[in-house]
Amino acid sequence: MWKFILRRLLVMIPQLFLLSIIVFMMAKAMPGDALSGQEINPRANPAELDRIREELGLNDPWYQQYLRWASNAVQGDFGISYTHKTPVMDVIEDRLWNTVFLALVTLIFTYMLAIPLGILSGRYNDTWVDKTVTGYSYVGFGTPIFIFALIMLFIFGFALDWFPSGGSVDSKVDEGTFAYVVSKINHLILPALSTALIATTSTIQYLRNEIIDNKIKDFVRTARSKGVPESKVYSRHILRNSFLPIAAFLGYEITGLIGGAVIIETIFSYPGLGQLFLSSVSLRDFSVVTAIVMMTGFATLLGTLLSDIILSAVDPRIRIE
Amino acid sequence: MEMKVETGKNIQVKDVSPSGMKIIWQEIKKDKLAMGSLIILVAILVFVYGASFFMDAKEIAKVDFLSIYLEPSSDYWLGTDYGGRDVFGQLIIGTRNSFTISLFITLFTAIIGLTLGLLSGYFGGATDNVIMRIIDFVIALPQMMFIIVVVTIVPVFNVYVFIMIMTLFLWTGKARLIRSKALSERELDYIHASKTLGTPHWKIILFQLLPNVSSLIIVNFILNLAGNIGLESSLTFLGFGLPESTPSLGTLISYARNPDVLENKWWIWVPASLMILVLMLSINFVGQALKRAADARQRRG
Amino acid sequence: MTLLKVDNLKVHFPIRGGFFRSVVDHVKAVDGVSFELQQGETYGLVGESGSGKSTTGKAVVKLNDVTSGQILFEGRDLAALSRKEIKPFRKDIQMIFQDPYSSLNPKKRVLDIIAEPLRNFERLSPAEEKKIVQDFLDKVGLSPESIHKYPHEFSGGQRQRIGIARSLTLKPKLIIADEPVSALDVSVQAQVLNFLQDLQAEFNLTYLFVGHDLGVIRHMCDRMGVMYRGRLVEEGRSDEIYENPQHIYTKRLIAAIPDLEPEVRGDKVKLRKKLTAEYESSYSKFFDENGRAYDLKPISSTHRVALL
Repeated sequence: MWKFILRRLLVMIPQLFLLSIIVFMMAKAMPGDALSGQEINPRANPAELDRIREELGLNDPWYQQYLRWASNAVQGDFGISYTHKTPVMDVIEDRLWNTVFLALVTLIFTYMLAIPLGILSGRYNDTWVDKTVTGYSYVGFGTPIFIFALIMLFIFGFALDWFPSGGSVDSKVDEGTFAYVVSKINHLILPALSTALIATTSTIQYLRNEIIDNKIKDFVRTARSKGVPESKVYSRHILRNSFLPIAAFLGYEITGLIGGAVIIETIFSYPGLGQLFLSSVSLRDFSVVTAIVMMTGFATLLGTLLSDIILSAVDPRIRIE
Repeated sequence: MEMKVETGKNIQVKDVSPSGMKIIWQEIKKDKLAMGSLIILVAILVFVYGASFFMDAKEIAKVDFLSIYLEPSSDYWLGTDYGGRDVFGQLIIGTRNSFTISLFITLFTAIIGLTLGLLSGYFGGATDNVIMRIIDFVIALPQMMFIIVVVTIVPVFNVYVFIMIMTLFLWTGKARLIRSKALSERELDYIHASKTLGTPHWKIILFQLLPNVSSLIIVNFILNLAGNIGLESSLTFLGFGLPESTPSLGTLISYARNPDVLENKWWIWVPASLMILVLMLSINFVGQALKRAADARQRRG
Repeated sequence: MTLLKVDNLKVHFPIRGGFFRSVVDHVKAVDGVSFELQQGETYGLVGESGSGKSTTGKAVVKLNDVTSGQILFEGRDLAALSRKEIKPFRKDIQMIFQDPYSSLNPKKRVLDIIAEPLRNFERLSPAEEKKIVQDFLDKVGLSPESIHKYPHEFSGGQRQRIGIARSLTLKPKLIIADEPVSALDVSVQAQVLNFLQDLQAEFNLTYLFVGHDLGVIRHMCDRMGVMYRGRLVEEGRSDEIYENPQHIYTKRLIAAIPDLEPEVRGDKVKLRKKLTAEYESSYSKFFDENGRAYDLKPISSTHRVALL
């Protein structure tokens, strides 16, 4: 087990290296350079600009620039934001927490929906309950999040006006008060629920199929034939074996949420990392873009690592590969 | 005994392969939802491709400030947008573009995924190792962000470049799926037999292995097609998908990023949203029915 | 005339382990096996599962890589040839597989299955090809209409005959039969075996017959070798080995054959107990300290045993 984790961690080193190289290459391919982020005299002559470039090392060979960039990045220094005129990390920090909150609430909703529905559907398979749940998950599987989120926003944000239609907190409340917390949560519900209602469907189906598969396994039959009551057969034998693979998907789920953040935050004008990313791309604030891509890339690698490790703990056969 | 039991004269020679087209068709016929979906899908596609043939895309794209944000009427069946353009016409052109482009993306990813998946699974060893490491890496990237960044930094951007960028990031899942199937197939004796019969590798891969992964490919192709329509329109919705010159369903929906349009001008974004939903769901329902057909355990009756 | 001579054949599979997945050890599936096949005879390789008998057979047709040793076919060393160079020999050496269900491609018609080797080696018109395929189908007792059917439309015995027809189309000299009847019903086994013998006479075939069923091997083979843990422990004419087994493993193998007469069952049980005791007491006579069988030593002109 430990060997597997160590080996899996070792695999991550070249992956991280590759990721950073690609992100660096993309940053170089983006129009403008670090100078665009500096407050410099707009009337500076080309010779002056060249001197500053030389000073900043922008004329060095690419690998030297890469090393400098990478070592700064490791220390959390991604340069200066061109639009915000502050260090990139300062711009990102607040947004990052908003995205983390959103992801957390979304995860909670996802599993709150998936677990009861999956169990019901699997335990009473081929009844009307199962057919309803399966129907829902088929529809959810085929629905793109952005359309569903728009519809949710239209109905609950505008037509019914139950939830705020944008932002992460009401600007009128003060930080630290109870009203502030309530307002924050209130802003989270609609985007989180919209994502969760769609994202949960694959987990429901997976849990359902796991339960149905386990139901007819020999160890369950043995338990039944020994006279173990049905509720105990489920709680002790079937669910335990069905939940483990679901737990393993946690990491992949996080990876998916990071990807989905761009869309959901744009639709709900939620000031998170995804929205910042998109606006920075539009404003060509590439030092911010580079930092976000590098950070989310790192996060998804971590998410995959987490799932792989849980999976290998659950199912030792995977470790062989 | 069993010898020559079939030597009667009136033997009907039937061309039925175990999970051939016929079984697929029977499975869809049995499944009312899939059958209905297929009919709706075909009807929409015939209508859209037929109608777009008679439409003048340039005429539709022409801005007319005298008829901005008109509600649906007999002149404009689905009203007009902020540029006074006919929404219905854009819906038809957009559906055609979205479907065609997603089809090409699916096709290209299928070709790459199939080639690398078969090679990786059939040969195993070092080939497999290299290909799998690449797949592991690409799959772990935050794809949407990467696509958006690449879309912004490419010097020339048009439909073909867009298809290429999408393909670059989306082939991995398919390759992994086909690789694992090929890996288990290659251990079967019919592959060993072909080797001892002197059949070259490329022939074994194309004529022995490929037919046995075909049902997997078909199902995966259909489900991916639906997924790619969603992904393409999402990106276009965000403003990083199809270029302005090629409006897609996502273009119409992206107008809803303006709260006024979202709240008060439903005719602009609701039809396109419904069109995507209907397309994706019906393609998915057909795909799910085929999946059941391919997986005998789940076959209905 | 010696058709095939296997000399000190070794097939080792690496075991990977440790932190860097390096090769830590080898599974010695075949560990120094030598035997010869004369033109026209049937040679049996018998042993329990995992003894390396199938691996030996597969190494001859290059389905397994040879670690060391020689496989001389008509004097040419197949083990030293590359995949390209071996192609002409594919015509001469064919294989019949154990599982008639997985050895035929489920997506191919019988015509395509049987014609596959022909298409690799000969340029034939579709009509010629069809005629040859139907001739062979007739030889294996299947109707000519079968060419349009798919494998799943046949029973296990019929499928195995399709596999046999496929191996015959190139008129091979040597056929490796890897447990060709062990996946079949007992009622069909004898039928297929007799029919293999008929074909042998008709086409002047040499068989390397791999099996675990001593009854089948005795019925089929002129000579046989007993394999245990990747080594040959005894080799000789089938009757010699049956009537006069020398190695403890062979003795136990023969004692394990179930007897049809219930009255001798008691004797059998006693015999097995006695052999188990002998196995424990005289282990070192047959195996060295690593549990590896000794090299074969001749005890008569035809009979060789692995003794100290």
